[in-house]
Amino acid sequence: MSLFQKKPLPYDLSNFTVLIVEDSLYMQSLMSQMLKIFGVGEILACDGAKEAIDLLTVTQASKKSKYLTNIDIVLTDWLMPKGGGGDELLTWIRSHEKDSVRFMPVIVVSGYTTEHLTSLTRDMGANEILVKPISGTTLASRICSVIDHPRPFIKAPRYFGPDRRRQEMPYRSLDRRVISAEEIKVEHGRTE
Amino acid sequence: MAAPNKPDDDSIKVRVYKLANRLKARLGSDFKNQEEGFLAPEVIEEADKYIKTLCVDCPGTLDKNLTTLATLWAKMKDIPESPDRADLTRQIFTLAHEIKDVGSMCEYELISYFAESLRDYIGHTELNIQAQVVIIQAHLDAMQICHRQGFKKEGGPEAEELKKMVKKAIDKYR
Repeated sequence: MSLFQKKPLPYDLSNFTVLIVEDSLYMQSLMSQMLKIFGVGEILACDGAKEAIDLLTVTQASKKSKYLTNIDIVLTDWLMPKGGGGDELLTWIRSHEKDSVRFMPVIVVSGYTTEHLTSLTRDMGANEILVKPISGTTLASRICSVIDHPRPFIKAPRYFGPDRRRQEMPYRSLDRRVISAEEIKVEHGRTE
Repeated sequence: MAAPNKPDDDSIKVRVYKLANRLKARLGSDFKNQEEGFLAPEVIEEADKYIKTLCVDCPGTLDKNLTTLATLWAKMKDIPESPDRADLTRQIFTLAHEIKDVGSMCEYELISYFAESLRDYIGHTELNIQAQVVIIQAHLDAMQICHRQGFKKEGGPEAEELKKMVKKAIDKYR
């Protein structure tokens, strides 16, 4: 490295607001403390989808409030029997009319590690999945992933969410779904 | 930008939204900047240390959770099918889920194993009350033995013995 080359600095998350949706107080406090250690500026916590939906509705309606800033990342548990699960929250977020909500990065945190859940969260529009037990490394890696690799969003007849393909794979079979270029529209824009 | 929920032009089947990287902008960086960043290794290490300090209190947390679980179960086992029983079932499900999380976080693998089994059993199986009594009690006994005897790992003869005991209770009603 040359003497004059700037050494890259670690991310400063002090401007970030992260919403934790988790019904276990133990896990909620654990994740909240870890995010504090990471330097996240504001951490909000809810114990289920219903409370989170209420909070997101209020934050969208009160943009001028000092405390109700836009939420940058949502970390949600999947299984929350009492207050509405991660599926309910994800569906609500991805079908919201406002760009600032429907394009919101959502990281699903779950103790379930089945392939079925991984496919389900992906097909419902989650950006990342974080499997419990969490560690500093895994939490940091998912946060960096949503910052560094924001995939384009796709709206297809039965899907809205981040592009589910993370890499270009050569496809040689004959039964590939074929869609003409005229049927695809690419929109460049910025969220609110 | 066209709203994804509005009826679209019929000829467009797929819309691709290439968005500005708002999170990069929030970090004070150019939103076109595609360089990968990182969190300071010290903060990651500190977060891991925090988990370790939490684990010092883990036996106390597990003790409290297992006591609550036993209390809920004592209330539930004699109640016939009713909304009250369903509510207690939900509470046990949530608590088993939490015990699994706490146990796996602090390397109490065996308790975590039984808690997960109890959560899955209670969440997915429709059995009669007599079967529930036997199966839930077997899970609870296994977790309490692990806790009292300090069995942490999944392997070993004691762990296998406890797993057999729970499996026997489940198999009896399958």
